[in-house]
Amino acid sequence: MTTTVMRPPERHARDAMVIVDADVHVDDAPGQLAPYIDRAWRPSLEALAGTPARYLDIPGYAPGMKLDPPIPGGQANRSVRSAAEMREGLSALGIDIGVLFPDHLLLFAPIPNIEYAVALSHAYNRWLLAEWLQEEPGLYGALLACPQDPDDSAREIARYAAEEKVVAVFLPTAGVNPLWGHRRYDPILAAAEAANLPVLLHSVTLVSPAFPCQLDQFENHFARQVLSHSFAMMANLTSLIHSGVPARFPRLKIGFTEAGVAWVPYMMWRMDKYFLEYRRMVPFLEKRPSEYMKERMWFATQPIEEPDDPRDLATTIGLYGGENRTLFASDWPHHDFDHPKAILKLPLPEATKRKIMGENALELFGIPAPAANLA
Amino acid sequence: MAEHVVGPVADFPPGTHRVVRLGRAEVGVFNVGGRFYALPNVCPHQYGPLCKGSVTGTTACSAQTGWRFAWVREGEVVACPWHGLEFDITTGRCLASPRLRVRQYPVGVIDGQVTVTL
Repeated sequence: MTTTVMRPPERHARDAMVIVDADVHVDDAPGQLAPYIDRAWRPSLEALAGTPARYLDIPGYAPGMKLDPPIPGGQANRSVRSAAEMREGLSALGIDIGVLFPDHLLLFAPIPNIEYAVALSHAYNRWLLAEWLQEEPGLYGALLACPQDPDDSAREIARYAAEEKVVAVFLPTAGVNPLWGHRRYDPILAAAEAANLPVLLHSVTLVSPAFPCQLDQFENHFARQVLSHSFAMMANLTSLIHSGVPARFPRLKIGFTEAGVAWVPYMMWRMDKYFLEYRRMVPFLEKRPSEYMKERMWFATQPIEEPDDPRDLATTIGLYGGENRTLFASDWPHHDFDHPKAILKLPLPEATKRKIMGENALELFGIPAPAANLA
Repeated sequence: MAEHVVGPVADFPPGTHRVVRLGRAEVGVFNVGGRFYALPNVCPHQYGPLCKGSVTGTTACSAQTGWRFAWVREGEVVACPWHGLEFDITTGRCLASPRLRVRQYPVGVIDGQVTVTL
């Protein structure tokens, strides 16, 4: 019986390389946000702080609607509770820079109470800045957008636009209804474009009547996990394209996280095929969907596909112009995180690896390259 | 290169099109507002009978239209009857892909007869 020990990649492979992680997660438990939320909602978060929670499933806060029993013999869930702990965890993986996302508020979109959702989004953004982005080097953040009130969310984005450590806007994607291409969200997309902040879609496994719906029919979490993230990305990408978002917001940059990359060429080919037939239904698109995707959409690696022959994955990355449009992501500390070596070991040219592991992200997020490795 | 007479001008009034056979080739002859165009009757997508499709206008939507749908280029677009791919009759270009384009044969009018050069 062997034990796998996590180590940073070898120094010689890394010295010339900055590793930027487009997707890591902070533990935004209700008790953490309670001091930061508007007074009227503080008692609600304080009450939630006292209730036992299941992983990413807190009714009234992160409504995951878990249907499965705890996995028998499954590994313990990891969470990161402080900036120092995050810095230490990323450094142990050899990661210089991380872009922070929430844990629980991945499940933010299905929260039905609009006033509460607005307050929660304000609290998360305040807390992120105060507790995470100022404390340690190499930690950057994505603002939580509030699909429940797009006008307020646009003001929130403008409020933080000049913050150096704020580098993106997180569009909560699981259970969002309508999907992100709906014109009701135009104020959020316009604010992000005006602030020159990319929007990042991130899903999570949850049971909801919104896309990807009917996950309740599967017998176990294996199936729900397989479909939830990638189907959510495919549905929301289609939504963004079908209402002309890349044409209507010509400087908006869009990133897709936690769905791997193999679905990307499939969607390019599929949308291009139907664009041939139905262009007159989407005349705002001045070029094929794949061309908008190659120009202004980015794709994060985790959970990276692991075909038997790694050359197949390298080929797949080439199919969508991934040399310049792929962002390394670990999803640390979640259960299905990827070590940087999962990408570094691929049969890709060194220059391509440097782009995927960090340079593409530095450019997309406008993060200055650190003078020395932070990890 | 051979010049073929395809018929009297009176058989091709403005706004109409016909498919004619010239040797082994089928060619669509279009009269768009008094100007003649000739395209092969083969769609480069999946080889459908492109020129037997209907000639229409198409939709446009951009900042210039206030992001509202507009109807443009009436009479300048032929849609393949198999999969609906739209081609600009005046350029041969597919509106939905720079990768798909059909040839344009030279068309002339000599002594009241429409001619196509293959």
